[in-house]
Amino acid sequence: MRRIPAALLCLTVALGTAACGGDDADSKTAAKPTNCTNKIVNEAAPRVLVWAWYPNMAKVVDNFNNQHTDVQVCWTNAGQGQPEYEKFQTAISAKKGAPDVIMLEADQLVGFEIQDALVDLAPFGANDVKKNFSEGAWKDVSQGEAVYAIPVDGGPMALIYRTDVFDKYKIQPPKTWDEYAQAAAKVKAAGGPVFGDFGSNVPAVTTALMIQKGAQPFVYNLADKQKITIKLDDQATKDVLTYWGDLATKGLVGKEDQFTTDYIAGMVGGKYATYVSAAWAPGYLTGSGVGAGKDKGKFAVAPLPQWDPANPVSVNWGGSAFAVTSQAADKALAAKVAMGIYADDASLTDGWKTQTIFPLNQGVLKSDEFVNAKVDFFSGQTANKDIYIPAENAYKGAVYSPFTVFYYAQLQAQIVKILGGKTTGAQAATDLHNQIVEYAKSQGFTVS
Amino acid sequence: MALTLEAPPADVTNRTRRRVFKPAGWLFILPFLIVFVAFLLAPLLYAGYLSLYTKGLATGTTFAGFDNYTRAFGDPSFRKGLWFVLKFSVVVIPLQIVVALVAALVLDEVTGRLARFSRLVIFLPYAIPVVLGALMWGFLYSPSFGPIEQIAGAFDVRAPFLLSQGNIFYGLLNVVTWQWSGYYMIIIYAALRSIDSSIYEAARIDGANSRQIAVRIKVPMVSSALVLILIFSLIGTLQFFTEPQILGPIANGSVTPDFTPNIYAYYMAFRYAQFNYASAISFSLGFVVFLVVAVFTFATRKRGGLFS
Amino acid sequence: MRPRHVGAKLLLLALCGYFLVPVWWLLVASTKNAEGLFSGSGALWFNGFHLADNLRDLFTFNNGEFVRWLGNSVLYALAGGIGCTVISVLAGYGFAKYTFRGRNLVFAMVLGSVMVPLTALVIPTFVLMSNVGLIDTIWAVILPSLLSPFAVYLMRVYAAGSVPDELLDAARIDGAGELRTFVRVALPLMRPGVITVLLLSIVTTWNNYFLPLTMLSSSKLFPLPVGIGLWTQLASSNNAGGQSLWNLIIVGSLVSIVPLIVAFLTLQKYWQGGLSVGSLK
Repeated sequence: MRRIPAALLCLTVALGTAACGGDDADSKTAAKPTNCTNKIVNEAAPRVLVWAWYPNMAKVVDNFNNQHTDVQVCWTNAGQGQPEYEKFQTAISAKKGAPDVIMLEADQLVGFEIQDALVDLAPFGANDVKKNFSEGAWKDVSQGEAVYAIPVDGGPMALIYRTDVFDKYKIQPPKTWDEYAQAAAKVKAAGGPVFGDFGSNVPAVTTALMIQKGAQPFVYNLADKQKITIKLDDQATKDVLTYWGDLATKGLVGKEDQFTTDYIAGMVGGKYATYVSAAWAPGYLTGSGVGAGKDKGKFAVAPLPQWDPANPVSVNWGGSAFAVTSQAADKALAAKVAMGIYADDASLTDGWKTQTIFPLNQGVLKSDEFVNAKVDFFSGQTANKDIYIPAENAYKGAVYSPFTVFYYAQLQAQIVKILGGKTTGAQAATDLHNQIVEYAKSQGFTVS
Repeated sequence: MALTLEAPPADVTNRTRRRVFKPAGWLFILPFLIVFVAFLLAPLLYAGYLSLYTKGLATGTTFAGFDNYTRAFGDPSFRKGLWFVLKFSVVVIPLQIVVALVAALVLDEVTGRLARFSRLVIFLPYAIPVVLGALMWGFLYSPSFGPIEQIAGAFDVRAPFLLSQGNIFYGLLNVVTWQWSGYYMIIIYAALRSIDSSIYEAARIDGANSRQIAVRIKVPMVSSALVLILIFSLIGTLQFFTEPQILGPIANGSVTPDFTPNIYAYYMAFRYAQFNYASAISFSLGFVVFLVVAVFTFATRKRGGLFS
Repeated sequence: MRPRHVGAKLLLLALCGYFLVPVWWLLVASTKNAEGLFSGSGALWFNGFHLADNLRDLFTFNNGEFVRWLGNSVLYALAGGIGCTVISVLAGYGFAKYTFRGRNLVFAMVLGSVMVPLTALVIPTFVLMSNVGLIDTIWAVILPSLLSPFAVYLMRVYAAGSVPDELLDAARIDGAGELRTFVRVALPLMRPGVITVLLLSIVTTWNNYFLPLTMLSSSKLFPLPVGIGLWTQLASSNNAGGQSLWNLIIVGSLVSIVPLIVAFLTLQKYWQGGLSVGSLK
């Protein structure tokens, strides 16, 4: 009994001195990360700590470690998407605890760049791998000449649809959004299911669809970091919000959130005739049990409907990249990992064959095997060649704001309002614009 | 003031004897104090210090004094969340206490296998992590495969979705009542058990029936337990966080970033990189909690409780 | 049977029904495979029996990471629970049985501190832990869970009520030191209270979600609720590359509540006694 207080006293003294000592991170070499989820092949090599959530990450890490003697990846899944970003944000605020290399979605990069949390990879040879990626994919991870992440996968968007519903109601895949709305009305009038879904919790989709109509919500360059241009009350944004709001209030598309078990149950049960989604969707749906059993062979994919078929616009939803954090002890080594991991043939092939990713690496996008692959989920349709690769090649990249999470939350709130009949698409766009402008000003930006 | 403390109850002779100054007391509380300072007081002070600064994404950190606090109390989002938790407290706390009290009174009266079984079953949710409890209710509320919709479907009506904007108040009310009533029931039940039963005999001789004994004797005798429960559930409800946070992703946008003050602070700190303002929100909420509890303790002073 | 108890018993049955529904659902859902879960069959009744398969998948998925989380949970709950109990019992006894300068002030601070939401503490605690290199280690979870103002409060009231000063004085007259007096005389008298506090702090640590979520980033160190939380994230995005995780999440939830239920059942007569004191005095 007597020992316990003594031990605790020691601990507090330790806590106190260390905290008071104000040790700067540079003064001591970083400890070797332990607790890796993977096996370390080469014990002697320095380790780079990586946070990532790709489902086949275990294989990817093994591939990397087996091929490298000078560096080893120590990997952990610290959470998927938002939960991982929250951990990263905690580490940024505490100035400690971040990994060396982190998986981030493209729309999140600027928000961390502006906090000086990411390292510009251009000085570490990032431009050597630029040729592996399309212009749009590279633009998504760059700020002018600076490169803040190395892309791995992307999400060129397309229209997934149920062939049984389309056959039954005798409709063709819509080429334009007008046709989409007409088809929706036709199916509904004939007593069919809702045609799609306008979920409030996928603001990234809505934003992509706004951009497709010609909206340019943000103009921002980190080089001039206090200046931002916000344009959310333009006609394109209003039109897109109005279009989907109308479909939803007329009962032509559902109002449910996506990525929930309910939504999946709806997809399995044929509740939705189409799914406006990205190239990674077949993998997501297969993994959730959609397209199995009696639903087998009932899905196909068509190009995303257009506003102006003469000038088609390709947009992107999701996809991730590897960035190096500014807390990394050895930035050159971390950069080497960011550029090398998930970039070898074995990993990429495993990734696309298991439908874990839609790869952005041009080597894969141009390989015969990938181009001609018959996608099981689409009953053997050569979806890559016909739909996704052209969509990816036409993608021009997007510009994101440094407060994506805030913007998404506000957009979601407006969509909820539209769905509840409490506002119109046009009003929602105006309100959204004002909220975001006000927030940007409160954060010290000069808004134009 | 209600929060000043008296020595814990003991008989008068003890009290005089304990006046002797014994520094050994410090040694007994030292381990606790160390943990308390390290994991509560120090972080609190640091958070308090941080709350005096402000950080703009584009501009960096500057000293702001109490600006964050004036901003917080004028912030419609903070006020909206505060209003929600106050409203929620007014409904959920009496509801839980009534369920707990009625169950405890019945269990105190009825004996046998059913009573023993019920006591455990009612207490069971306490042993289930809040996160899992919320997850389970999320499944049960589900319109596609939850039983509520299925039962309603059997009668050919559409059940309301308990997490929709209009209904989430009730959806959460149910989850919280389910999770905590059993715990409160056990506290009241334990208090009931320790009442000397000869009091009941005397009342019975005077012609009181069971219900009268319950209302006139038992309830007043466990009132200090009730006050304790009230204060704890008040603190817990005003800091409402986990259940809405877990149910949020399946609630079709009903759980907004400013749903409760604690969720708002969480968003600020971990999603919007506004830790300074988040600290100020947390302290402002702490201040409101303190105020409400103090007012409440003052009002129920005679009954005893946590701070008497 | 006295007739007036019929109403009471019906009420009990109704209450049992209400409190059991989610648990019943969990039990039933644990026996379904992914297809059975989402096929829209009755949610409260069986549809195929795959409990054994689910359990096998649960314990083997991702090299058995669930087993690891289970082990972590046991470790955190025992270390945190026992440590917290020792500290709280000592402190409660100290507050109850000694008069010393600053006692009331300290006790008021302890109780008042409950009112500030944890959200404010996360980042400072993280900073503190990172300065001593303890983030993403088991200590980041165990050390903060040693703190429980409520347990101290409970033990203070309990010690005041159950340990007569005369006994302590008698022991001191016999020449026993303060610590010896505590261990030999006071502790046995406080046993039911100690067990109550032990159980309550084990439950609190076992159910802890927010603290380990923020302090740990290595999934190897996760306790059960955080691990299951990670699976839900995976399940609602793209699952495990072809394998549905929802049935594992459900059966995993079932497995993770069983130990606590067993603990409560076996130790019933102790903790119920201990709880009465906190409120009665």
